[in-house]
Formats: sequence, C-alpha cells, structure tokens
Amino acid sequence: MTRKSPDSRNLDQSERAQLAECHSQLPSLADALGQGKASRREFLRTATLLGLSAGIAYGMAGKLTGEGFVPRAKAQDGTPRRGGVLRVSMNVKEISDPATIDWSEKGNNLRLVIEPLVRISGDNLATPHLAESWSASDDLRTWTFNLRRDVKWSNGDDFTADDVIANFERWMDPAVGSSNYGRFAALRESSEDGSRMAEGAIRKIDDHTVEFNLRVPFLAFPESMGDYPALIAHRSFQGGNWANEPIGTGPFELTRFTVGERATYARREDGWWGGEVYLDGIDYIDHGDDPAAPFAALASGQVDLLYRLNVEQLPAARNMPNLEVYEAMTAQTGVARMKVDEAPFDDPRVRRAIQACVDHARLLEIANQGLGLPGEDHHVAQIHPEYADIGAPQQDYDLARELLAEAGYADGLDISIDCVAQPTWEPNTCEALVEMLRPAGINLSVNIMPGGTYWDRWMTTPFGFTSWAHRPLGTQSLSLAYRSGVPWNESSYSNPEFDALLDQAEATFDVDERREIMAQLQTILQGDAVIVQPFWRSIHTAGSPRVKGFIHHPAEEHHFETVWLED
Amino acid sequence: MLIFLARRTGYMVLTMLVVSILLFVLLEVNGEAVAVKVLGPYTTVEQRNLWLEANGYFRPVYVRYFEWLGNMLTGDFGESIRFRAPVADVLWPRLANTAILGGVTFAVMIPLALMMGILAGMKEGSKLDRSLSVTAIITTSIPEFASAVLLTFLFVFWLSWLPGTSGMTDGFRPVELILPVTVLVLYGFGYIARMTRASMVEVMQTPYIRTAILKGMPYRQVIMRHALRNALIAPFTVIMLQINWLLSGVIVVEFFFAYKGFGALLLEASLNQDIFLIQACAMVAVFVAVTTQTIADIGYTYLNPRIRFA
Amino acid sequence: MNEHRPPDRESAEPIKPPPAIVVTARNIILGLWGALRLLRESTVAMIGAGLVGFWVLVAIFAPWLAPYDPNAQVLPFATPFTEHPEGGTFWLGADHLGRDILSRVIWGSRTVLFYAPVATACAFAVGITMGLFAGYKRGWIDDVLSRISDIILSFPILVLYVVIITTFGASGLNIVLAVIFASAPGIMRIVRGLVLDLRNRDYVAAAQTRGESTLRIMFVEILPNARGPLIVDACLRLGYTIITIGVLGFLGLGLPPPDPDWGGMVNQTRSMATFAPHMTIFPVIAISSLVLGFNLLADGIREISLND
Repeated sequence: MTRKSPDSRNLDQSERAQLAECHSQLPSLADALGQGKASRREFLRTATLLGLSAGIAYGMAGKLTGEGFVPRAKAQDGTPRRGGVLRVSMNVKEISDPATIDWSEKGNNLRLVIEPLVRISGDNLATPHLAESWSASDDLRTWTFNLRRDVKWSNGDDFTADDVIANFERWMDPAVGSSNYGRFAALRESSEDGSRMAEGAIRKIDDHTVEFNLRVPFLAFPESMGDYPALIAHRSFQGGNWANEPIGTGPFELTRFTVGERATYARREDGWWGGEVYLDGIDYIDHGDDPAAPFAALASGQVDLLYRLNVEQLPAARNMPNLEVYEAMTAQTGVARMKVDEAPFDDPRVRRAIQACVDHARLLEIANQGLGLPGEDHHVAQIHPEYADIGAPQQDYDLARELLAEAGYADGLDISIDCVAQPTWEPNTCEALVEMLRPAGINLSVNIMPGGTYWDRWMTTPFGFTSWAHRPLGTQSLSLAYRSGVPWNESSYSNPEFDALLDQAEATFDVDERREIMAQLQTILQGDAVIVQPFWRSIHTAGSPRVKGFIHHPAEEHHFETVWLED
Repeated sequence: MLIFLARRTGYMVLTMLVVSILLFVLLEVNGEAVAVKVLGPYTTVEQRNLWLEANGYFRPVYVRYFEWLGNMLTGDFGESIRFRAPVADVLWPRLANTAILGGVTFAVMIPLALMMGILAGMKEGSKLDRSLSVTAIITTSIPEFASAVLLTFLFVFWLSWLPGTSGMTDGFRPVELILPVTVLVLYGFGYIARMTRASMVEVMQTPYIRTAILKGMPYRQVIMRHALRNALIAPFTVIMLQINWLLSGVIVVEFFFAYKGFGALLLEASLNQDIFLIQACAMVAVFVAVTTQTIADIGYTYLNPRIRFA
Repeated sequence: MNEHRPPDRESAEPIKPPPAIVVTARNIILGLWGALRLLRESTVAMIGAGLVGFWVLVAIFAPWLAPYDPNAQVLPFATPFTEHPEGGTFWLGADHLGRDILSRVIWGSRTVLFYAPVATACAFAVGITMGLFAGYKRGWIDDVLSRISDIILSFPILVLYVVIITTFGASGLNIVLAVIFASAPGIMRIVRGLVLDLRNRDYVAAAQTRGESTLRIMFVEILPNARGPLIVDACLRLGYTIITIGVLGFLGLGLPPPDPDWGGMVNQTRSMATFAPHMTIFPVIAISSLVLGFNLLADGIREISLND
C-alpha cells in the first residue's frame, strides 16, 4: 500500500472502478465517507463485508478522511523466532460437536485445528480465511464465496465446496441444535422456528466456489461466518465426538484432549496453507473455576498467557513486574434480562421501573472499574458501526416509584436475579444493582449459582444476568437474542414490528437509512425495557513478556499462528 | 472373631446399599431431569423422550435401580456429561492423584503429630506440653481456605519461592505438592497430636508405668518399651478416620491449587450437575470412608485387649 | 468441616455426673454465674470465652459499632486508614466494590453468629432427641437410629454438604438443614453413649418407681446430667459449623450476597490478595479467631470438668 498525499480527498477513476467492481453500492458509500455522512468504521466494515480487501479499504478510508493510512494494528515485536510451546491457562470444555459450541473457550480449542471461511480480525473487520474472496449481488441476496484452492485437510483430502455445504446442511438442521440455525436464518424457507434450509439456498458452482441464495437481503452474512460456532469441520463429520477424530485445515493438530485438564497441540508437519507458523505447539491448561489459580500460575511462571484477567485482578496484574497486560475494547456485555411473559416482569411498568433505577455510568465504575462504556439498554454498542445515538436512559427514582405504584407495588417489590458465580464481574454487577434498586423500594436478592446450574436455566429463569459475547455488529446480537422464537431468545421477547425492522436493517445498505432503522430498533428495545444493560466491557488478559505477536481479540479469540516466544 | 468380621463387613455392605439407594433417589428417579442434563437445555421434548426410551428410563424404578447397581458393581458408572467420556476413565486417574496427595500428607502429618503428642503427653502440664497443645488448637482453628490464602500470598507472590498452582502440567514435580500438603497438615495434625497426647497422659498415669519408673527403670526404656505401645492404640483409630477427613479436605485444597484430583473432580461434577459423575464420586468416597472405618474398628478391637468381640 | 471426627471419643472421658437440677429462671442465672466462676479455673477457657464473647458483643451491637452501611459502595480498593469521602475513615480499607471492610466484618459476625448457633442448636435438638430415645428405649428404635446415623456419618462431611447444596441450591435454610442432617447423627452417638451409662443410675430407677413418664425421665432426669460432655461438644461443633459455613462461602456455595459473610468475603477478594491483601486478611482473622475462641472454650471446659 503506497501512501498518498493526504490532501487528495477524492478517489481517482481507477479506484472508483475498483470499488464499483466489488459492489455497485460501494462508490456511493465512499462518497458518504468523504462527506462525513458515514464513519470511517462504517466504511471499513461495509467495504470488507462486500469483499474489498482490508488493506485497500484502509487505504481508501485514509485518503477520503484525510487521516492518512493507518496500518492494521499489528504488534511488531522484533523478528519472530521459531520454536517453543505456548502454555495458556484456559478452561478446557468438551468440544464433541463444533456446530453446537456455546463458549468462546471451546472456539479457541477448535480454531487451531478447524477454521472459518471468514475471520473477524482484532480490529473487527471481516477478513478472508478459508474463503479467498467473496462478492454480493446488488440486492445483497446472492453471495458467491471463492474458496482457497491450496488448503488440505490433515488426512490428505482437499478442502472443497463439499465441506462447506456439508457443514451448512448440518447447521440448518433443526435437530442438530446449532446456534447457526438462527444466525443464518436467511437461508431457511421461512423465519418460522423449525423451518428447514430452503431448496437451492446453497449451491456448488464448482469445487471451490459456493453460491448462497438468501431469502432476505443480509449484509452481515460474511460477518456471521466469522462467529465462533461457524468453524468448518471435515465433510465426514456428522455428529459423534469430534475430538476423537480431529481432522482439520488449521495450523495445528490436536494431540491430546482431556476436558477439565489439558488440550495440547502440535504444529502441523505437512505445512499450513497460511504460511510459516512459529510455535512448536500450544498447551492449554485448565485451572478450574477459581480465578485466583490462573493468576497464581502466571505469577510463578507455570503458564505464559491467561485466557482472561478478571477486571478486579487488573490492579494486581499491573502491580506485578514482568507481566504484560493486554486490553481490548469490546461489545462484550451482560444483560439483566427479564422474562416478558412471567410475573411480575410481564408488566412493562415493572420492567421500566427497574430500568429507571439504574445509573449505568455508576455501575460501570463500581463493577468494572470504569473500563468500558455505559450501556443503553438496547444491546447496540457505541462501537458498533450502525449504532444510532438515541440517548441513554436516565436514573429517575421518582419515575420508578410512580411506575411501581401504578403496577400495584407501591409497598415495594421483592424479586431475585439468577447469576453465575464466575466470572466475578457478573455477580459484582448484580450486587451493585441491588444497591441501585433499593431506594425505589425494589428489594432485589442475588441468587449466585455455579455456571453449570445457571446455563441450564438461563433460558427459563424469570430474571437472570446473562453475559453476551462480543459481536462486531449490533444487528447480530439483536438477531440472536431478541428475534421472536430464536433459540437464544432468553427473554421470550416477541415483537413482529421489531422483527420486521431487524430484517430491514440487515438488508439496508444506505447509511442514513439504516441508521434511522437502527434508531427505531434501539428505541423499541429500550422502551420495552426487556433488559437492563449495565455496560460494554473493556476486557483484559495478561501474559509473560516472552509472548510476542499476541493481540487480545475483542471476542477473546486466539489466533496463535502469528505468535512466537522469545528466548 | 470371624463372626465379628462378618458382621462388620455386613454393616459395610448395608451402608453402601443404603447410600446407593439415596443417591439413586436423589439424582435419577426423575428421568426427565436426567435427560435435560445429558442432552442439554435446547433439546425438544421429543428428543428427550427418544433418549429416555432408548436408555430404558420408562421401566419401573426398581428395575432401573438394580440395573444401575449392577453396572456400578462392574465398574460401569455411565458416561460423564461434562467430560463426554466414561466416568471410570475420568475417575481413576483423579483418584490416583489424590492418593499421592493424601499419601504424602499422611507421611508428613502422622510422624509429626505422633511425635508432638508423645512429647507433650510424657510430662503433662510442662511448658512443652502447654505450648504444643496451644499450637495444635490454633492451627486447627484456621480453616484450610484461610491458610491456603495466607501461604500463597507469602510463598508465591511475596517471596516467589513456590509455584502457585499444582496442576503437575510439566510432569510430576514434588515442589508443587509443598503448599497443598502444608495446608492439609497444618489443619489436620493438631487433632491427632491432641489425641496422642491424651492417650499418652492416660498411659503415663497407669500403675504399671508408675511402678516401672519407681523401680528405677531407665525413663527412655519405660517410654519406648511400655508406654508407647499402649498409647498408640487410640491414635491408630483416629488416623484411620483421618482418611475420611482427608476426602473433605482435598476438595478445598485441590480447588485452590488447581490440583487435578478427586476432590476437585467431585466439586466440578457437583457444580455442573454431572449426575453420573456425582454418583460415582460419592460412591467411591463413601466406600473409602466405610472401609477405613471398618478397618479402624477391627484394628481397635484387635489391638485393645479390653474389648471383647461382641 | 471435620465434624465426622467424633468429638465423643475425646469428650467422653469420664466426667462426674452432676446432680439433677431443676430448670428455673433463677437457676439459669445462677448457673451462668457459676459457669463463669468455673471458667476462671482455666486460663484457656477464659481466653476462649473472651474471644467468643467479643464476637457475640460485636454481633449484638453491630448496628451501633459499624461505622458505615456494609453494602454501600463507595471507594473501591481503598487501603486501610483511607479517608471516607463523607467523613470518617476506612479503618480496614474497602473491598473491590468499595464497601467498608470494618463494617462488613462487623455485620458478617451477625451472619456467622446467627446461622452457626441456629444450625448447631437445631442439630442438637434433633440429635439429643434421637440419642435419648435410642439410649433409653433401646431395642429396635436404637438399632434403626444407630444404623441411620452410621450411614450418614460414613459420608465425608464436605462431600455431603457439596452434594446437598448443589442439588438443592445455596440458601440460609438449606445450609441449616445440611448442618442438621450432617451433625445430628454425631450428637446422637454421644447422647446415646451417655444415656446408656446414666439410665442405670439410682435416681432414674427412683423416678421410674415414682411412675414418671418416659419423656419426663429422659428429658428431666437424664438429660441435665449429660450436659457436661454436651457443652464441650457444642463448643467444638460451633467451631466446625463456622468453618463449614466459611468453606461453603469460599467454594461459592454459601449464603447469597450482598449481606456480608466471612467465607464469601475471602472468596470474593482473594484473587486480588497480591494487590490488596487487606481485603482478604481481615475476614480470615475474624473467622479464625472466632473458631479459636470456641475451640479454646471447649478445651478449657473439658479441663475444668476433669479437675472436678
């Protein structure tokens, strides 16, 4: 990428042609950026989604905004050295079926071996991975993915379109129970729960080209392919225990896997399509549910890197000499969500009263040490490219008391919230919430339970605090959690108007138009007070200074092929 | 004697049977709940019913119980939900790890406690006796989780002498055992020491010891030849019962130091409601406890001539 | 947490049976006074009583002693002697949510000194009743009760607690129930042993000839004479129960927050102990000193009764 003089604010003809070739709408998006109507983040994200390479997109954005070319955040830590085994402390959970995984840790365990078509980079952009490139039709309903031709499975097979199709067929089978079923709802016959994948929704053009035909326009389609349950397993995998026969395309091979203890990996000997891999192997060590144990292990040199550093351990970590602390601003969050069809939360006044008690900035301060951004109770983050600023809900105890009185709880309301014990910021947030609700006469008790218990009832409890992973796009979470009847709709929220607007938002290309739709969506969700969303978190981890080239990914994804260990 | 043995063994079997029934009733009678645990919360009623049918959950409870018991006896504990592996494969290595931890703990704790108890009991009321007794009371009053926190702070973070976790990830390293063993010994030795002391005091007051001393037998000889033998009967029982205590103690210590043993496994299984694993762990724990109690009873009876085989 | 260690083996050392007493208010006061005078015989007992008494007073006067609301979130990670923004001082610092540790330790004594004695008292009520029936009636009642208690006692105690609490959920009531379930059999064993000894005494025979009811004989004639070893056992058991509640809190199975509980305070803060040890050390000291108090008290009482 050559650097052009910053004052040439307009793209030249060849550049415009390049954009138009990628997608007919891109030149107008570039204009929007140049006129300040679209943000840089929005341009980058949309352009890469439509198949423009991230490098070119960054270059054009730099030119249009006059900010110069900003290189991708890549930790340049000197010359990579080959060799060594990276020891990482992380819970090792069962990974019998890659299609149904529900934890980022499981994604990390799988991702070293099996890979996605599209990868979300550390700066939240969709980048090609097993798919070399892709393009979308003008109506955003037909997507053509070109697969890499040089990829081989570890058993010697070629990676082909059949692998992709086999995975999509499993994901879209409601009996498998994959969250991809909701993620790729646009491929189904209808949005009804239980509907199957539409005829011709996925087509093999040739061995390395796949065409998707969507029922509705869906701009975030490539982004969804980067979510952690969308890793491509070998076509022969049809259920059973994946870890028993781990065939992969990735840079590492699984050499040992014991749930709750270890997962070890060795560099693939026959080479990886992506080039040189520095590490000889990876060693994931499970230290149990006790957050103090991984930290103690790191402090005494038993591991090189932590999966996660709890926010309250941050001062301790900063205090230790010889520890590298990593931070990432994310759209990771937790929501105190209310089941809208269960008393007393079936009364919107009760929900709004609870919402009115909350001072989001204060919650962020208390429970997350102010590291992050206050939430606005609509599950779209300020860092999401399509975020519309509709104003934050304000703390108003008078309103809360008034609403409660109207709802028949003038004498106070006793409720309890279910919450997991780990990670600790969740119970901490709930405890802070208790103090916040008290002045309005709401007596909240916190029912802290082990993860195993909570995740069995997170869909059914009347009031629960659920953490939601980082997703690069606001509509992704809205689609997963608030669309009527989708598997992860934990609040039982069902609003046809909301669903229709969400479809529209996912299909709208024009920036202004989409922001207007987003504003409506956010207003509906905020007004219906389905969730109290305290904050968006900055997340942290820590490692030994020996670890080089590591980027703390906002979704806590481990991309270890670029990591190396210093002597 | 044979009748006594048969009776003790009979009690043991009876206890195990009752415990197995309790566990079965507590965790398995509700087949629907089991299906939810095994198949996950996202499954449909149909899927669960298919699973229940395939696994024979629609048969009468007593048929299921006897089949379950038969499987247990043959070492088939079912499949762990969390580990997606046969329970036996998970359980035995963990139990072996705990045996190592427990073995080392005992190897340190027993000689230490007996020594202290004997020294204190030899001269009741002496300065040594008082200070040893007070030490034992104090260490027994500090819960394991508290001493684990304090010792970790001191030796791991402050002095950087010892590793902070004991996962044995680089192969078996004895240095990783130091902290967990210290915590267990600190909390556990006081009880045995006090029992030994009490027993020793009692023996020292018996007429034959007094006579031996008055007769001018060398003090050392009196202690070594006569007093010790009798004084160690009571502690023997206590030591056997300490195995039962150890099964509790390892839960905290293994959790704290991320030691991959039986205690951590049981806690993990309980927290994740891994039904078949909880059953197996509880059965194993009770089996170990009951066996050691039986041995303690038999041994006590055998060692103590005053008790007749009733 | 080590309740299964049968304290009866230790406390069943021969104790002179005190004469039967009649329970009246006057006698209770006299008894307490007498007990205090008795305790003066043993330094150990006095220290123990001092520690326990200190915490009991702290618990009773918690609302007046605690400088701040124990749940008010003010200044996270404040170190000891930091000034409180609304005046006053965080004498022991503040925790990760900015709550005053001194106030939490003070209020936490209430939690501990409520649940532990209530649970222990209930366990004693159940255990004593079982033991009296088993020891006095003998026969099949004895056989059944003894077998049941043997079975429960064969469980490693924490295993039992963890299984019960994770199956039925963590709440104050469940913790009390679990303690009753796990402790009553041990108490029953002690009582049964004492009753077997006492039931052949002359005054029992006299009561029988007077035609007193069985219940009256058990609870009025026999029970008061078994009190010595039971008081010692109660002290030990209170200590164990406090540790148990602490351990459950530590494992995340304890009382629901936010009301302070010492074990939970240790659990919540220990991952930060390298940076802010004050958050962990004070609850550790609190729980250890209270347990130590009960253990010393038990030891002292036993010593006194042996000297009698």
